[in-house]
Amino acid sequence: MAERGPHEVDPRLLEILVCPLTKETLEYDRDRQELVSRGARLAYPIRDGIPIMLPDEARPLE
Amino acid sequence: MAPPEPAAARPPSPIDEAAVVAAYSRWAPVYDAVFGLPFLTGRRAIAKIVNALPPGRILEAGVGTGMALKRYDRKHRVFGIDLSPDMLARARTRVARGHLGHVEGLEVMDAGNLAFPDRSFDAVVAMYVMTVVPDPDKVMAEFVRVTPPGGRLVVIGHFASSGGFYHWVERRLARFAARIGWNPDMDVERLMGRPDLRLVARRKLGPLWLFTLLTFERV
Repeated sequence: MAERGPHEVDPRLLEILVCPLTKETLEYDRDRQELVSRGARLAYPIRDGIPIMLPDEARPLE
Repeated sequence: MAPPEPAAARPPSPIDEAAVVAAYSRWAPVYDAVFGLPFLTGRRAIAKIVNALPPGRILEAGVGTGMALKRYDRKHRVFGIDLSPDMLARARTRVARGHLGHVEGLEVMDAGNLAFPDRSFDAVVAMYVMTVVPDPDKVMAEFVRVTPPGGRLVVIGHFASSGGFYHWVERRLARFAARIGWNPDMDVERLMGRPDLRLVARRKLGPLWLFTLLTFERV
């Protein structure tokens, strides 16, 4: 298994997190460090390894 | 005429999320020094209850700087959420320094809109949280959603007493709630009265018996 950087998110987390609005599973965008909700069309940022699961802080998808 | 909504019948909460985040951003550097000792009794009591449960997934809502995390048995898989990124950054440091491998996740989250699937936790713990959230009913509904039948919900609150000196103090504190970041004027009844929750234990906690610990079973 690949080494994780200090600010990278724990893969065990991704198994359990869902979109707070739609409660659907999320896609992990490793390059952007975002958790993407296709249903809500929002990308939740991961800052310093901590997912920010707030719609107000999320980036709207085009 | 429709029956009145219990929540709507109450005056609007003096707390809003931005005020809470701002207040805890100010509290973060000194939080452990100020609240470490007064809340120790609560953390011990909670850990005792949680650690008596079979191995499972535990959610600590309002984990703050993570003061309680080291007390949870390593048999559990623990997740912590908080609205304040400043408090969580301290929790993250604490997890790394203390090698708290049983802590699987720390996330910035609104307890009223959890980013977890239904029935994903065996127990939800909320210490001193219900008095700082703008909508306690919504938060309780989310806690119930993520807990399966048989699961536990353990809540410590600074609940308004029925009278006397504390009531008098709490009434006055309530005026400053937005500034200090919590709402002391809150009744236990507002958390209860849900058909999907059965109160299994209730006890007063020190210091000064200001706090109440409530244990619910999800039915």
